Amino acid sequence: MAAVQGGMVDSYEEKDIKTEPPNDGGGNNNANDGRLLSPSPGSSASSAGSNKSVAGAPEDQQTLLAVLQFLRKNKLTESVEILRREAGLPEDSLDLKGGDSSGAGSGGAAGGVDLESGDASALLSRVTVSSSAAAQAPTKAPGEDQPDVNVVLSAYSQQGDPALYGVYYSGLKKFIESVLDCHRAELSQVFYPLFVHMYLELVYNNHENEAKVFFEKFSGDQECYYEDDLRILSSLTKKEHMRGNETLLDFRTSKFVLRISRDSYQLLKRHLQERQNNQIWNIIQEHLYIDIFDGMPRSKSQIDAMSGSLAGEAKREANKAKVYYGLLKEPEIELPLDDEDEEAENEEGKPKKKKPKKDSMGSKSKKQDPNAPSQTRIPLPELKDSDKLDKIMYMKEATKRIRLGPDNLPSICFYSFLNAYQGLTAVDFTDDSSLIAGGFADSTVRVWSVTPKKLRKVKSAADLNLIDKESDDVLERIMDEKTASESKILYGHSGPVYGISFSPDRNYLLSSSEDGTIRLWSLQTFTCLVGYKGHNYPVWDTQFSPHGYYFISGGHDRVARLWATDHYQPLRMFSGHLADVTCTRFHPNSNYVATGSSDRTIRLWDVLTGNCVRIFTGHKGPIHALAFSPNGKFLASGATDGRVLLWDIGHGLMIGELKGHTDSIYSLKFSRDGEILASGSMDNTVRLWDSLKAFDDLETDDFTAATGHIHLQDNSQELLLGTYMSKSTPVVHLHFTRRNLLLAAGSYNP
Amino acid sequence: MSAPKTIPKDAQVMIQILKDMGITEYEPRVINQMLEFTYRYVTTIIEDAKIYATHAKKSTVDADDIKLAIQCRMDQSFTSPPPRDFLLEVARQKNQTPLPLIKPYTGPRLPPDRYCLTAPNYRLKSVQKKVSTSAGRITVPRLSVGAVSSRPSTPTLGTPSVQSVTTKVGTPVSLTGQRFTVQIPPPSQTTTTKTTTPSTPAVSNVLINPSLIGSKNILITTNMVSQNTGGDSLKRKHEDEDDYDAL
Repeated sequence: MAAVQGGMVDSYEEKDIKTEPPNDGGGNNNANDGRLLSPSPGSSASSAGSNKSVAGAPEDQQTLLAVLQFLRKNKLTESVEILRREAGLPEDSLDLKGGDSSGAGSGGAAGGVDLESGDASALLSRVTVSSSAAAQAPTKAPGEDQPDVNVVLSAYSQQGDPALYGVYYSGLKKFIESVLDCHRAELSQVFYPLFVHMYLELVYNNHENEAKVFFEKFSGDQECYYEDDLRILSSLTKKEHMRGNETLLDFRTSKFVLRISRDSYQLLKRHLQERQNNQIWNIIQEHLYIDIFDGMPRSKSQIDAMSGSLAGEAKREANKAKVYYGLLKEPEIELPLDDEDEEAENEEGKPKKKKPKKDSMGSKSKKQDPNAPSQTRIPLPELKDSDKLDKIMYMKEATKRIRLGPDNLPSICFYSFLNAYQGLTAVDFTDDSSLIAGGFADSTVRVWSVTPKKLRKVKSAADLNLIDKESDDVLERIMDEKTASESKILYGHSGPVYGISFSPDRNYLLSSSEDGTIRLWSLQTFTCLVGYKGHNYPVWDTQFSPHGYYFISGGHDRVARLWATDHYQPLRMFSGHLADVTCTRFHPNSNYVATGSSDRTIRLWDVLTGNCVRIFTGHKGPIHALAFSPNGKFLASGATDGRVLLWDIGHGLMIGELKGHTDSIYSLKFSRDGEILASGSMDNTVRLWDSLKAFDDLETDDFTAATGHIHLQDNSQELLLGTYMSKSTPVVHLHFTRRNLLLAAGSYNP
Repeated sequence: MSAPKTIPKDAQVMIQILKDMGITEYEPRVINQMLEFTYRYVTTIIEDAKIYATHAKKSTVDADDIKLAIQCRMDQSFTSPPPRDFLLEVARQKNQTPLPLIKPYTGPRLPPDRYCLTAPNYRLKSVQKKVSTSAGRITVPRLSVGAVSSRPSTPTLGTPSVQSVTTKVGTPVSLTGQRFTVQIPPPSQTTTTKTTTPSTPAVSNVLINPSLIGSKNILITTNMVSQNTGGDSLKRKHEDEDDYDAL
């Protein structure tokens, strides 16, 4: 039973004994009987808020209706008929209180069904990995597919005696403190979700004073990294406050995931079932998902590393899907006859001889990388001639690239935006570092040319007719010299511009803004081409795919969307985060998208199917920076807690933690060959980290991938290669040029 | 003015709120912003509540009216994003459709024109008066097109009578948000360069404020216009209002 009342303990226990012996055939009927008690506390809670329920006629009626509703939802039509006939209920009375009770009913049913299986081990089965996911989904589904807030909130209609909540909680505290050291760290994980859920129950049932007392007494005990959440919670004192707060509602409908070793879990279960305070046990069953693993209990530091997100850690099977993290094969391009070759001619007869020499980019092996997606997994635009020219330029520059390393640090060139008055909200560089674009809080987008070459608009159509189309320099002739200027301003948005991204072919610029739209600008004419509407709320970040054509955006509505430039509606919607999506990045092979969110998790999504293939938890603040390593295997993330975390995508594990920054990290970038990771933060510094070393240690470890244990070394100091202070200029963006010069951008903030 | 500088009570309340929520660093203007918001919001609510009370023929405003006012305003301005299960459902549906294949060699890949912001956002008004031709000037259709191409119906490619072009000021080229300036020549004239508005017999150009960048994209073709040398009314080939989705 998920719901227990203080006053009705006796009758509950009777029912318990009755339903204990396993009955398979009569399972549903027992569920009905067993559940009769739970909707009644539910209905009485919503009606009067009193503890003792007098089994008066209206309550019984309502519980019967709730039962009917439940049966109907599970398509037990015969039972429905029988019950209705016996109870003498009219046809149309099913809809009364259906909404409210079904939530409580299904909550109770979940508990009821479990008791059906009979003994203590069945309760265990409720929370083990495989079964519970399946079991909970159908029972919760009736309550949840109505997007009605009341249904969701009514999950809290169970109640114990509010005054006793504090007693229950301190009882648990005492128990956990008395447990063996090795188990204590794991069991302490239970405190926070339990505290929050108990508090919210008190608030929902209008016990404002008890809620306040409870909060004051126990909020100080929680982990420091939950401080922000607790502060928000402290301002929530009435039931009305709970509506409309989507994040909170999500928090309560999604189960808080905890990973506990089997031994610790047994201890906890045994303790809670011995006592009368099954209230806590009920809450645990209802709102927590305990992912049990066999093995050594984890230490406090291990737990701290992984926890911090809004919904606990990630279930292990969430990170089991196969991810193709390899890079796509580079297309073979013949190089032009140039000074680079020794051979003067590009003979048709000898292509093979050329390619291995020129392809310093790594398509040495003709075999397919097993970890790489196939070329046609997602449709990608084919290379145009201009793209091929770009690639050739890229390869040429790559040969001149400086090899970076701990003894060969990059030079950093800082672009300071003056007189922006804290209005600079987004920055991007083109890949060849020739243009820089800034998005501002006054809703403008400004583009500057970094090279001496000025920005020009294309001539008007009439003029274009007049030029000689056959001439060699036609691409220069189409440009109108009279419009040449150092910078261009693009107007169009009606709110601050929070995300900016250049297309890889330098033809387009994307900007996303607080007005909910994403605009595509042409860099030939410096005018706006398309406005993509879909998010109705501020769009915090956007990025073009490395191959062009696709782009992603993430915003306040907690989804990230994949768009193509020629579709006015998104192609994919990545939904699953509990709070705003603050950062969106493409994987180098364009097949996966990483999103960082205010719920302190990072999710990796598959573009082909839209499924979430990885969930990374561990940050203690909203994530604002993400970077994929150039080889596609690793992901680095930075958040407002000042830490950079490194993740192995293939295994789905955290492999490193870089501590050093003292304020939010807003930008992360790997160098072109992945040897150095640069991070820029609000504390006005740029720090360089040795990523080769951080990922190197990885190869020798053997992952306990089954348990997902990580053992992080505290080697941030060794990995830190340099800290560079800027003059009161927070670093908003970082970019490595093709030759591995580091460019940084920020607005001067005296 | 009293000698000691005291902060008004409302501002003190705001400072206390910020402190309670744990915000320690903020610009002093934030207090003023919060005060302004609060006053505006409360005034709006109370006014709404008054309206509801009079509608219910009550003499005084009571708590129910206020509650109703808050509720209505909440749905209007303080909307929250859709709930998670709804989003999951929509996402599931959307993610089922396979990714569309990409057609090769299509030039700039943009959505259909009606969803782009590339069309002219102004309309030419016809002028009835007969204007004497002044030194046989002709205006040349000059369009600075937003998108480099791909629509056969745009005026630029249509007019055969293009002569040389001046880039001089007569055509008000606004600097930034503008899309197009079009001067459409009446076909009767011969030589080139700019015209001033009265000199075109058939058509005068009216530049609508470029800031009217909006959902109404009005397409116009010169071919059509040049046929109406009388220029009474400009028939638009595409009826705009009906065609476009409410975007």
